[in-house]
Amino acid sequence: MTNRIKVERAILNLTQEELANRISVSRQTINAMEANKYVPSTVLALKIARVFDKRVEEIFFLDTED
Amino acid sequence: MNQTLLLPNRFKTIGWCILIPATIAGILLTTTGYEAEWLNAKVLTLFYDEISIISDAVVDEFGPFGLIEANVTNTLVGVVFLFGALMVAFSKEKHEDEFIANLRLSSLLWSVWVNYILLLVAFLLVYGIAFLHIMIYNMFTILIIFIIRFNYLLYKSTTSMADDK
Repeated sequence: MTNRIKVERAILNLTQEELANRISVSRQTINAMEANKYVPSTVLALKIARVFDKRVEEIFFLDTED
Repeated sequence: MNQTLLLPNRFKTIGWCILIPATIAGILLTTTGYEAEWLNAKVLTLFYDEISIISDAVVDEFGPFGLIEANVTNTLVGVVFLFGALMVAFSKEKHEDEFIANLRLSSLLWSVWVNYILLLVAFLLVYGIAFLHIMIYNMFTILIIFIIRFNYLLYKSTTSMADDK
């Protein structure tokens, strides 16, 4: 799975730390997701979508391997 | 991973303070075979099996639930080590979240694999008293390997974001 977290974060001008605090996770989690090393749970994906005020499908995309 | 099975974060520091001296003491005990005289005690045991020589005859006494005389140096160090290691291994991180839980679980799986591969190699290649030593160490290696692996993965995930704002 790939995602646009980094891009969306840049649009809102948020640091990894700020985004992490907003959805109460560690900064490592944001970093791992942006590096496509971690696929978040549905709950976390929905929380991220809510911060960016977008639908989940506009932020997360299926990969060819999925 | 079920979060309720983890200890609060402050136990991690306490655990390290216990684990480090207990590890040093444990290594010293296993290499020197030292037993403190003043730690001879009568202890309750679930099962005992003692061989003694009474007037040239070998007597093997065994059975469940007994009160026996034993030196508790190893017992004491082993128990303290386990307390320390369990605290370090199973305390929450400052920001315990699903990604950390994922690292924790995969480290646990990794350490079980590595531990049993090492034991398998030892089974095949080590015999006699040397194997007995390996078995003693093997009682603790799963926890040790897990602690090393988990903290290494945590460290790696922290450094990979060092320059990334």
